[in-house]
Amino acid sequence: MKRLAMIAATSAAALTASPLHAEPLKIGIIESLSGAQTSTGRLYANAVKYGVDRINEAGGFNGEPVVVTEYDNAGGAPDAADKFRNAVADGVDIIFQGASSAIAGQLTEDVRKHNLRNPGDEVIFINLGGEAMELTGEKCQFYHFRYTTTAPMRVNALVGAMKESGDLGTKVYSINQNYSWGQDMQAAAAAAAADGGYTVVDEVLHDVNKIQDFAPFVARISSAAPDTVFTGNWSNDLLLLMKAAGDAGLDVTFATAFLDQPGNIANAGKTAIGHYIANNYDNAATDGKFAEDYKTATGHYPIFVEGHSAFALGALQQALGTVDFGGGDIDVTKIALALENTTYETPLGPVSVRKEDHQTIRPVVVSKVVENPKYPADETNMGFETVKVIAGEDAIYPVQDSCKMERPAE
Amino acid sequence: MEFAIISTLNGVTYGLLLFMVSAGLTLIFGMMGVLNFAHASFYMMGAYVAYAVSSVFGFWVGILVAPIVVGLAGMAVERFLLPRVHAHGHAHELLLTFGLALIIEELIKIFFGDFPVNYQMPAELRFSAFEVFGATYPFYRLFIGAVAVVMFAALWVLLTRTRTGIVVRAAERLPAMAEALGHNIPIVFMFVFGTGAALAGLAGAVAGAFYPTNPNMALELGVIVFVVVVVGGLGSLKGSLLASLMIGLFSSFAVGLDWSLANLLGVVGLGDWARSVGGLLTLELSSISATIPFALMLIVLLVRPAGLMGERN
Repeated sequence: MKRLAMIAATSAAALTASPLHAEPLKIGIIESLSGAQTSTGRLYANAVKYGVDRINEAGGFNGEPVVVTEYDNAGGAPDAADKFRNAVADGVDIIFQGASSAIAGQLTEDVRKHNLRNPGDEVIFINLGGEAMELTGEKCQFYHFRYTTTAPMRVNALVGAMKESGDLGTKVYSINQNYSWGQDMQAAAAAAAADGGYTVVDEVLHDVNKIQDFAPFVARISSAAPDTVFTGNWSNDLLLLMKAAGDAGLDVTFATAFLDQPGNIANAGKTAIGHYIANNYDNAATDGKFAEDYKTATGHYPIFVEGHSAFALGALQQALGTVDFGGGDIDVTKIALALENTTYETPLGPVSVRKEDHQTIRPVVVSKVVENPKYPADETNMGFETVKVIAGEDAIYPVQDSCKMERPAE
Repeated sequence: MEFAIISTLNGVTYGLLLFMVSAGLTLIFGMMGVLNFAHASFYMMGAYVAYAVSSVFGFWVGILVAPIVVGLAGMAVERFLLPRVHAHGHAHELLLTFGLALIIEELIKIFFGDFPVNYQMPAELRFSAFEVFGATYPFYRLFIGAVAVVMFAALWVLLTRTRTGIVVRAAERLPAMAEALGHNIPIVFMFVFGTGAALAGLAGAVAGAFYPTNPNMALELGVIVFVVVVVGGLGSLKGSLLASLMIGLFSSFAVGLDWSLANLLGVVGLGDWARSVGGLLTLELSSISATIPFALMLIVLLVRPAGLMGERN
């Protein structure tokens, strides 16, 4: 009996004693690192790594450096689902992804199902770039956090800033890609018509990144004679559209969401000058301190999606600072709850999470392409000049009715 | 009228660009029976070589050097890679060229980066040719079209009116007999393949300055080029030209037309019902304009499996 008690006592001691190696926090980047969207996927991965390095410089988490692993989803949802299973098998706690709403839609569903089936072993999904409304609408769930804008935030910011500077006009044309994001942009442009004091003269949706020749679309826009063209197009669809408009001598202002994608300004050339963009971050809108830090660490100023993605990691770092597992097991739900209560100060203003749908309330920057800016783009003499920074509470839109979030029992 | 004229202009020039890229593909298939999946990659390679060369020696040197470099690359593929799998049949050749396409794409990314490069047409070509209904028409579009027309004429004359053309056609029809008459068939095939690749390289060098030169350009044009070749009839140069023009014109006209099934049903008084149902019935033609080539391919394959001008099934 005495021996049994001894064994019980020693094994209890062994169980409670802190292990030699604490459990590290594992981060997985499931991104498009090969295939057509490599250029964007690589930038998201850069920014996540930059953010994780900051966390590790400050001593890591739970007594260990944070571990980060890249998984290549090759730009497709089925591959992303595969890589998510890999990541789970590797014990990943938090996954990051940005390029493509379709992949984000796949991942958020996979995360939701995984968390239902594996209580106590949850995974958080931090969405850096999937802007489809449904991700915080029908598909909204507790473990998904969106650290980027959506179509209404961008369009409302553009309408407000362009109206103030007198570049909006009264006739607006809307051309977008025919999938969730493009449809959201088209709906947002139509919804903002009354506030902006314009009429939408025509709207068109087209196939996504399949069209080589935009001249016919430009001919159609030209016959409607708009003042401003709203477009959520990205990658080739934006570049070809702007080139075709420039070649045809079309005199309109483009109001865009992704004009800062690398290569766009250089390829569009002088055609790009005077056009607008609304996005999460622009170097010119800040005091430049973060931009210099980023350059010191990575060798270049933050471009395109890198800035706002790095801020998501900043918010995570701040949230991690408020939880302490004493070197023991990591409770992902506690991290998610901490993230909900985190307000992170970016160089542009605070970013906080709206608890009802986990959309972040965040500032939006409206900029315009000019010559000789402070931060030239693509090694040209053109770049972005800040027109206006819209504060988070002014940019945000109401929670969608379709979001019914189930919260974990507390 | 305005709509028709502008759409025709745009459609014809885009069609000629498609022909320029598909000419080499159809040549290689028609003469050698090799379905080259890496063809659009040669097109991309042409654009990148022209970009690299033109940034040092100027635009015109780039246009000259690109087809030569790409043609040599094509010859190397025909000489060193294809013979190894030839004995195993078409499927293996297809797989080899498919793998080659993937490798070329990733190599381009390693050397030139993931983003579009700044390959621009020279300033002396950047002017508007004329003005149609208030919109200027870029001269460079006409230049692309002109290059395509010259290419077609040169190929046609070469194949049907010269001694070289006779040898090439003989090598395709009766290789053993041609060989017995003292012609070096492997060399002929190597040059045919090289010429096909060089044509794609030239197309890339010319078009890359108008459309952006990026690592996805092969992917974007690759599928449509196959559609052109299938619709035109595998191996038929005239068929490719006809199919390219049809696809260019159809895509161009479709964009301006807001036709939907609902409008059609409106003719018989069912318009409101169709709009209330939505979905497919209200889908506008313009939103699926990029799908039209594939619909065309489907119809042609159903009616004429050999393609518009194809000779064999």
